[in-house]
Amino acid sequence: MFLLQAIPEKQPALLSLIYMAGLALMILWLAVGLLRAMRRRRYSVGGVTPADLPAEVRERLGTTSTNRGLYALRWFFVLLALSVFGFHVYWARYAEEKNERFQELSYKDLRNRRLSESTLRGWILDRTGKLESALALYRVGDGGRIRREYPLDREMAQLLGTERGDAGLERALFGIQSGAVPEALDVALNKDVKQPANLDVQLTIHGELQKAVVEQLKDRAGAAVVINPQTGEVLAMYSNPSYSIGEVQDESTWIRFDTDKRNAPLVNRALRSYYIPGSTFKTVTMIAQFLHGTHNEKYLCSGNGYYAQPGAKSILDDGGAAEVHGVIGVDKAYEVSCNQYFAQAAVKLGPDKMKQAAALIGIGAYEDPVDATRGRRQTEIWNVSTPAIARALAPSEATIVTKVGMRPYDLAIEGFGQGYAGQMTPFQMALSAAAIANLEGKLMKPKIEMNVAPQPFHQVVTPDKAAQMRRIMGLVNDPKAGGTGRGVFMALSNSGLVTGGKTGTAQKDVPEYDKNGEPRTVKKYERDRKGNVIREYQQIVISEEKRIDSWFLCIAPLEYPQVAMAVIIEGGGYGSKAAAPVAAALVAKARELGLLGQAAQPGAQQPGAQPAPPKPGARQPRRSPTPAPVANGRVAQRR
Amino acid sequence: MKNRASSHLIALVLIFGFQIAGYYAVYQAALLRGYEPTVVGAVRDLALFAVLFGVVVWLSRNMKFQGNWVLFTTAVLLFSIGSLVQYRLYSDPEYNSRNKAEARAEKTEILRRRYVNQFYGPDKKKLMGMPDNPEAAQLQVSEAVARRSNITAGSALVSYNTWIPIIAFLALGVAFRLCNSDNFLNWVQRHSFIIVLITLVPLFAAVATSSAGKALGNMTPWEPSKIPFLLGFAGILTAYYRDLAKTYWGMPRAQAIVPLFVMALIPFFPFFVLQDFGQLLVFSGAYATLYLVAVRRWPQLLLFVGSMVLVIGVLVVGSLPPDTQAKVPLLPTLSKPVQAVLPARIKQRFHLWLDGFNPPSPDVAWWKKDYQDALQREPRMKELAEQSPGMQKTVNVDVWFDRIAFQPAQATFGIASGGWTGRGLGLGFAEVIPVADSDYIYAAVGEEMGLVGGAIIMLALIVFVSAGVRTAIDARDMFTKLCAAGLTAFIGFQALVNIGGITRALPMTGITLPFVSHGGFSLITSFAMLGMLLAFSHRNARDLRPAKSPRPNTRPRAGAPDPLIPEAVE
Repeated sequence: MFLLQAIPEKQPALLSLIYMAGLALMILWLAVGLLRAMRRRRYSVGGVTPADLPAEVRERLGTTSTNRGLYALRWFFVLLALSVFGFHVYWARYAEEKNERFQELSYKDLRNRRLSESTLRGWILDRTGKLESALALYRVGDGGRIRREYPLDREMAQLLGTERGDAGLERALFGIQSGAVPEALDVALNKDVKQPANLDVQLTIHGELQKAVVEQLKDRAGAAVVINPQTGEVLAMYSNPSYSIGEVQDESTWIRFDTDKRNAPLVNRALRSYYIPGSTFKTVTMIAQFLHGTHNEKYLCSGNGYYAQPGAKSILDDGGAAEVHGVIGVDKAYEVSCNQYFAQAAVKLGPDKMKQAAALIGIGAYEDPVDATRGRRQTEIWNVSTPAIARALAPSEATIVTKVGMRPYDLAIEGFGQGYAGQMTPFQMALSAAAIANLEGKLMKPKIEMNVAPQPFHQVVTPDKAAQMRRIMGLVNDPKAGGTGRGVFMALSNSGLVTGGKTGTAQKDVPEYDKNGEPRTVKKYERDRKGNVIREYQQIVISEEKRIDSWFLCIAPLEYPQVAMAVIIEGGGYGSKAAAPVAAALVAKARELGLLGQAAQPGAQQPGAQPAPPKPGARQPRRSPTPAPVANGRVAQRR
Repeated sequence: MKNRASSHLIALVLIFGFQIAGYYAVYQAALLRGYEPTVVGAVRDLALFAVLFGVVVWLSRNMKFQGNWVLFTTAVLLFSIGSLVQYRLYSDPEYNSRNKAEARAEKTEILRRRYVNQFYGPDKKKLMGMPDNPEAAQLQVSEAVARRSNITAGSALVSYNTWIPIIAFLALGVAFRLCNSDNFLNWVQRHSFIIVLITLVPLFAAVATSSAGKALGNMTPWEPSKIPFLLGFAGILTAYYRDLAKTYWGMPRAQAIVPLFVMALIPFFPFFVLQDFGQLLVFSGAYATLYLVAVRRWPQLLLFVGSMVLVIGVLVVGSLPPDTQAKVPLLPTLSKPVQAVLPARIKQRFHLWLDGFNPPSPDVAWWKKDYQDALQREPRMKELAEQSPGMQKTVNVDVWFDRIAFQPAQATFGIASGGWTGRGLGLGFAEVIPVADSDYIYAAVGEEMGLVGGAIIMLALIVFVSAGVRTAIDARDMFTKLCAAGLTAFIGFQALVNIGGITRALPMTGITLPFVSHGGFSLITSFAMLGMLLAFSHRNARDLRPAKSPRPNTRPRAGAPDPLIPEAVE
């Protein structure tokens, strides 16, 4: 009875077209017959007028006033019917494109949900490709119903997304684009019917590593991004607090989460929250230096501080006048995180060169500070198979301000991650680290699907310079040097894993929140000179206590990095205190999972004796060990 | 097409053939959508065509019908579209089920299991907790498909859906027979006032027993009263139209206008009490048409049109949303008295029409009750709404689209998803629109047959009205002329008011689409009206060719005193 054809809907669609065509023909036939009859006896007055009268007289006798009224009624009705039909045409053809309110409300259309419910989505697998460790699958649940389950629910919620709000991977991978459901005519003509892809998708996320990130960020607000710098594969990305996908099926819970701006469980901080990068931004300045060949410059770092311009505040290090580094090069400056050095480096480079370097690693450089705060969604950075996925994961573009003739002081503080550099996302900082960690000095576009070939975003620096920068990053964690990450990474270093990193600490003004997590506001009045109120507005109250965010960038293993990560802990204090231990734990976990390659296994090698790193360009995405799912005619080929 | 019984019988057979294709399409589509529709219902619907063929044979053989067959065939065409769409909706377990969510879940579950059995390998099935024994899987599929609607031949025989169309066809025959007799028409014309008054008696009984515009369950038993009202008005107008045409300063005399006015107002009371504003609208349209057709005087036309525009203007002004009103100076002051007088239902309908995508503020009187009621039911929503104004707005939008705006919004989405040729019969999601079988049937047509389906219905209506107007034009005496015009205008306007309500060209009123909608009394009334029109058409043709075949029961030959008032020739 049920035969699955190429498009099973074809037969009923064809039949209903036949039905409609038949009825249309019938009604046209009737209409034509009526028209001809009307022409034949336009003014029939039948028995009233004697048949022997001349035609014109009969005609005039027939066109009584009453009958003229009736003719008018007919045309009036035709006019009314056509104008009512015009409304039908509007809704059927134009509302979807023209009517904004109608577009906004399309989520109220029950049909969309029906469509997505009736087709099974593909399973989402993690990078191991094992069905057992699927991230999203179907199970027969209570009551014998098949339902979607997420073994890593909270862990993956922000990446997978739900049916509400902005689309996550679930909807991007399997979502039904509006208008994808074809009209009967398209089905009957076998037109390219866009059906939702319901093949399994293998992500680059490693489930176990993702779990480890969640474990590390437990009870702390923050985010972590782990990327393979050689291929751009995103191994883990998590933002805490998160939410449970099952929980937000309930609308009121979702609304409550949506209003909670303090904990913001629905926001993926890794992609969409702006933070002041603090010292981690020195990585970007360093890249700019190497890019433009000013990395051999030495600058003085004195107790008086650095005056970027006459009359400006002097730039000091965290230790104030007591922290003096003397005349140092970039390696020493990065190791001890010297503000004065990078301030001078940025001023020396100038806005134009900073801008060039920023553009190469995906940071937007704007002339106008207002443009820099717009928070554009940066879809072009992703290496994806469909634009929907890029939209679902698009980070808010990290920005700096660079303008020819800008105040040197502004440029100077930007150089060490303050001022206009305060619009960084954890994702962007991970990419900055990845640019250095790439053996060829390229920034690879991040990707989340296993089967997409790696793609470079830009060639940032030469391989040689990248290696130099890696060496400098290594100083931070080097047990023999005086870097800020030394202590935390001591255990890893002792077990033979050489890593590189950078700490960062930033003070951020944050609003005060009420009990629902909404920012507290006060009413403010704008007055004219006489004191009359011109305008009344709400201003967000800024908390007096600044939040100290803790950052850490990390690459490991140093010689042929397989992970590049950024960790931020909101209110965590110094970078080495909160974020660095998280990064160290994640590196250890990645090694345990074999993500760092065989060579990095504990005890396998002594530092400095690693074999030649595999050619990064030749690195292929790992194939899934599971057999490819059955494809059928109605499914678009994704894999 | 020649106006012969045989050609229209062929047309009917063709429609029947297409109808079979349509039912088969619905059946096929239903299997794809995870349910098996009732075969008995389809056979029953198709068997009704046998009765229709019988009506054709009876008309042409026994009644020697010479009138316009187009009227009949067009009505049958509309009726067949309606019965197909109704069949599609009733077959869907989700549409009729009390627990829609459950029925929907069952449908999707069947589709999903079918998919799993077909495309999932053993390892996946094992992880899912499903048996991987191919026979068991087969069993599950057949089990799933066997979920058919439980209509048996026995229950079909006693169901309303079988008998109401048959009663409607009977009503057509009875109306034809009655209106074909001169004596009856003379009697009606002479006693029109009394007929109208007598009609009022059962009507008031219906009003007394009704609640929220419905009586006897979900019926509107006052529908047939439309016919005596129309006849009565036509009768009075026939008696007075000459006097009305004699104007003084552009106005007729009071002694002529008062009886007419009284007659016109009579139906307004019961329908106002019943809150059936759609009928009121159609009645005003039909009466105005009749008056303008019978008494063609420019000043009166202007007066009519002017007062119509004024009434509509006042209604619109009164029901514009407050924030829009605030933008125009003087408007709030003007609309205050109107707002105070307008019934809540009209305000609500006007809001849905003019600003249906935006909910009114929760303080608006007619919306407040529903809104509070919704919050009462869901305490968590209430909690949310109390948190902040922004939250309240969100909650308000959700409640609005879950309640009053649910039906019109889903209908609009359905029409929008239909596009040119629709989703195909049974392949759309018309079951999500509440009462898509009666008031909202045009939305279901728009979704599954698209603009083409809508155009077929529109064209059918235009053809029907043209044929009806033709009948009125050909009528030899004023009474049948006005009756024919009135019936045609009534059916036509009723259809436009219905379709306009769905396409948001007009405010939505609870009125059916004649011949197409499901509906007990409304279907019977429509077919009775069709029978009358056929009778008038037959009379015209008979009078055109009096010499051809002398029949019993015909009116006297020329020269004999004519009992009817002859046609006005000015």
